[in-house]
Amino acid sequence: MKEKNGNISASPPAWKKGSGGKEALPTGLVFFPAFDWAISPTHPEREERLLYTRDQLFEEGVMDLPQIRQYQPRLADHKDIARVHFCVPDIETQATEAHRVAAGGALVIADALMKGEIKNGFALVRPPGHHAMRVAHGNRGFCNINNEPVMVEYLRQKYGLQRIAVIDTDVHHGDGTQDIYWHDPDVLFISFHQDGRTLYPGSGFTNEIGGPLAAGTTLNVPLPPGTTDEGILFVLDNLVLPIIDEFEPELIVNSAGQDNHYSDPLANMSFSARGYAILNEKLAPDIAVLEGGYSIETALPYVNMGIIMAMAGIDYSNLYEPDFREDRFKEDPRNLKKLEGIVQELTAVFRRRQELVQSTRLQKSGSLLQRNRQIYYDTDQIREAQKEALRVCPDCPGCLLIDSQASGPRGHFRVYCINIHIRCCPQCRQEARDHYAEMCRQTKELFDYVYLQDRAADLYLQYDCHLNAEDMV
Amino acid sequence: MSKILVGIDVGGTFTDGVVCAGGKILDSAKHPTEEGDLQGSIFAVLDDLLQGVKKDDLANKIIQVVLSTTLVTNLLAAGGGEQVALIMIPGPGLNLKQLDFFPHTYIISGAVDFRGKIIEPLKQTQVEEIGTLITAAGIKKVAVVGKFSQRNNSHERLVEEILKNRHPHLEIVRGFEVSGQLNFLRRAVTAYYTAVTRDKWARFADSIKKALRKRGIVSPINILKADGGTMPLEVSLHNPCETVFSGPAASVMGAFALTMDQQTSVVVDIGGTTTDLALILEGRPLYASRGAVLSGRYTHVRSFAVRSMALGGDSTLRWTGNKISVGPDRLGPAACFGGPAATPTDAVNILEKGKLGSLSLSHRALEEISKQAGLKVEKLAREVVRRVNDRLKDGIDDMFRSWEQEPAYKIWEIVNKRQVRPDRIVGIGAAAGAFIPALAERFGCQALVHRYSPVANALGAAVARPTLSLLLHADTQRQSYYLNLEGITGKFSSDGQLADAKDLAQKKLQEIAEKRGIGKYADHREIFLEEQFNMIRGWSTTGKLFDVGVQIASGIIDEFKGVQP
Ligand SMILES: [Zn+2]
Ligand SMILES: [Zn+2]
Repeated sequence: MKEKNGNISASPPAWKKGSGGKEALPTGLVFFPAFDWAISPTHPEREERLLYTRDQLFEEGVMDLPQIRQYQPRLADHKDIARVHFCVPDIETQATEAHRVAAGGALVIADALMKGEIKNGFALVRPPGHHAMRVAHGNRGFCNINNEPVMVEYLRQKYGLQRIAVIDTDVHHGDGTQDIYWHDPDVLFISFHQDGRTLYPGSGFTNEIGGPLAAGTTLNVPLPPGTTDEGILFVLDNLVLPIIDEFEPELIVNSAGQDNHYSDPLANMSFSARGYAILNEKLAPDIAVLEGGYSIETALPYVNMGIIMAMAGIDYSNLYEPDFREDRFKEDPRNLKKLEGIVQELTAVFRRRQELVQSTRLQKSGSLLQRNRQIYYDTDQIREAQKEALRVCPDCPGCLLIDSQASGPRGHFRVYCINIHIRCCPQCRQEARDHYAEMCRQTKELFDYVYLQDRAADLYLQYDCHLNAEDMV
Repeated sequence: MSKILVGIDVGGTFTDGVVCAGGKILDSAKHPTEEGDLQGSIFAVLDDLLQGVKKDDLANKIIQVVLSTTLVTNLLAAGGGEQVALIMIPGPGLNLKQLDFFPHTYIISGAVDFRGKIIEPLKQTQVEEIGTLITAAGIKKVAVVGKFSQRNNSHERLVEEILKNRHPHLEIVRGFEVSGQLNFLRRAVTAYYTAVTRDKWARFADSIKKALRKRGIVSPINILKADGGTMPLEVSLHNPCETVFSGPAASVMGAFALTMDQQTSVVVDIGGTTTDLALILEGRPLYASRGAVLSGRYTHVRSFAVRSMALGGDSTLRWTGNKISVGPDRLGPAACFGGPAATPTDAVNILEKGKLGSLSLSHRALEEISKQAGLKVEKLAREVVRRVNDRLKDGIDDMFRSWEQEPAYKIWEIVNKRQVRPDRIVGIGAAAGAFIPALAERFGCQALVHRYSPVANALGAAVARPTLSLLLHADTQRQSYYLNLEGITGKFSSDGQLADAKDLAQKKLQEIAEKRGIGKYADHREIFLEEQFNMIRGWSTTGKLFDVGVQIASGIIDEFKGVQP
């Protein structure tokens, strides 16, 4: 974590204490191109995606540098996934080996960081994950399993971290990660992305600020198409960095998509490899995890180099795309004006976050707040209908109840999901566990499965209503 | 009498040689290595060895002489060799000005990308200016290396042409000839070292050849490489760097010659000052994933994964106040052989009741320490052996761990990851018998200390066969293929398939093997890498990329069928 402007946070978390020599440590790198995996042969998420990146990294010889330490990924456990997702019907179906290796790559970096082997790390892995939501019926936006939350929940359970910032720099709105942390006041989620009116998934507007008990810790910056290095770095300098400073996270994660690049075929932005390097130097994430980015030949080899160099503190002044032109990255003054407005609006939301949550608690304590949603899985063409209910507790972030149903290639499923926050109060937790037992007894006609995600106890149960059988993950 | 094999291994302390035939070592010789006169050491061993061979047999029965030598390693370590200028053509990426490279390094404009497309032209005037500077400094050798020069070598060729135009006397080593494997920095280092050592190596090779011919030996003369394979002396003239680290390679091949099966072995070569550890995994020696490190820099020289520990039979023993320390220095031979200080060999000698050397000398040496430590001599000796084995065990465990943590790039590699444990520990070197059995016990595996263990390194050299590793990269869209060897490129059909790429790679391996005089080993080739990628632009396939690797792996020549027990 960085200490900007000489402001050293009053009490650094225990695992960061005595880290005076941290800058001398290498940057950890898991490079996992999954050369034997594709969604389909011609899909953007195919074997070829990181091929030229491999050529560039290997030819450059970065792995030989003392500033880089390479790690091998591992398979994430089912339990690592159960902490985050309600997989329908089960984890095996949604989390294939490919997904478990990608998530496992992030876990390897997390372990290396916490053991003090590296100063920061980059999980350069595929498949990506940031469109995968809490309930997973299938693949959305090339994602089944959300790698960053799997890593964040692992860090919280294994190393006791509490406050974490996830900054989504992919050109697409990180709607999956947003969904997973919507009700979590301890995870700051900021996504900047091309305006949802012009790009998949069509969400991520400034009024999406988090659930009633976590308002203001989700922030969205829709960027006008064509936004350049200058525009993105403006948002970073004036919104993201100051808010991170105020939030004082113990760990910063960059959900690092590379599709803001000017040559990306799926989006329309004007960000350069050098822009990415500057962004990562300034943001100084403890961990970066690769998300999207589909300009596989023109952008990715250079952007990935740029991120690695910036994180490792290697001079990136000689890094540029073959067709890079300096003059291309000046921002349109009208766009800057627009961005200024967004920065002001969101800063105000963030500053009022405690007030917003407090007033909800005062007015709604004890009641059940509901929202109904339709979720579309573009890759698998599944439509999910979700009823979400949050019990408002005066003492804790509460527990969350989700009734979800969807029809897909594997048939129709209706499932009931109960989530218990890691910092849940004993009373809410007891209520949630009783509720789980009751749902398992009563509703075999209504539901196919009932799931319990008890993060406070790190316990994950799944009940098959047809077989009357409970499984512990 | 059957065919005769001769192997000579020049080590840091001793030069060893063997003559073997029919699975038996007929004769062996040992002389101290004179650093300043490696040839002299080699000839001394050679003359000892040849005494026992009949004159007729010298000409008729010797089928190969294999030499493993430290000349190039020594040259580089001592900063000897020729003055060389390095010209680099990096294009976008690392800022090389920030890297601590060699003196006389010049960075010039021009760039090629990973597909072999020129993305930035060369500047002729810039190269001309450098030519003037280089010659003014009295430098006669130049290494020129471009990023992705294996995919398009025209910039390297052009630099050579421009330089030669004005300065015809300059000798130029081009990166693409040295290695076509990905890794520009290693290519630059390897090309540079090649230019530094080539002349001196050529003179050395020439005198070796003359000496052998003078002694009536007409067989092929082969040089052992770091990958445990041999190359003909003539081939080594182009690639002097491949001769480095052949000593540890000789030990591994020696262990191989002693076992010749599909088991997993740890090779422990205990020398005077150091112990080298290597792994043979299910009958295959493990290679270093990054290439040999020469004078602190990674190169493209393929070598076995060898871990060197500062711990040997002659390491000095000391009492540090609360424990016994072993090494890292060596003051001389073990006390039992008249040396100045107590050593692990003395500890073993005491436990073995004087089997190795003078028991009283060992006793006297250990007694001093035992007084300081307040331990009985016997107990101290056991403690020393325990400590040595502790450290060896840690080293071996660590080697297995690093092997398990080697990066992988495919899902099946991660999913099918296995744990391998040693079936046995093979001891090499004179001191092996003293330590290996107890070490093997720690791992709960077999110990192999053969009567040939003391000369197994020279045996390994004598029986090693040639190796050759070829990587082919083919791009159907650019209708080209590129080899890692000799800068060979050519046309590849736009509708070529993986099978075509594999056929081509095998054909090329055969051709190159024949050209190098090792054609008969091409039958032993195996494909170790096959990858294909569809290039999709829009939603349709616009081409394919293939990577194929085919090799003659390290192994034992057909004429050697294993040692007699
Ligand atoms: Zn994206
Ligand atoms: Zn509560």
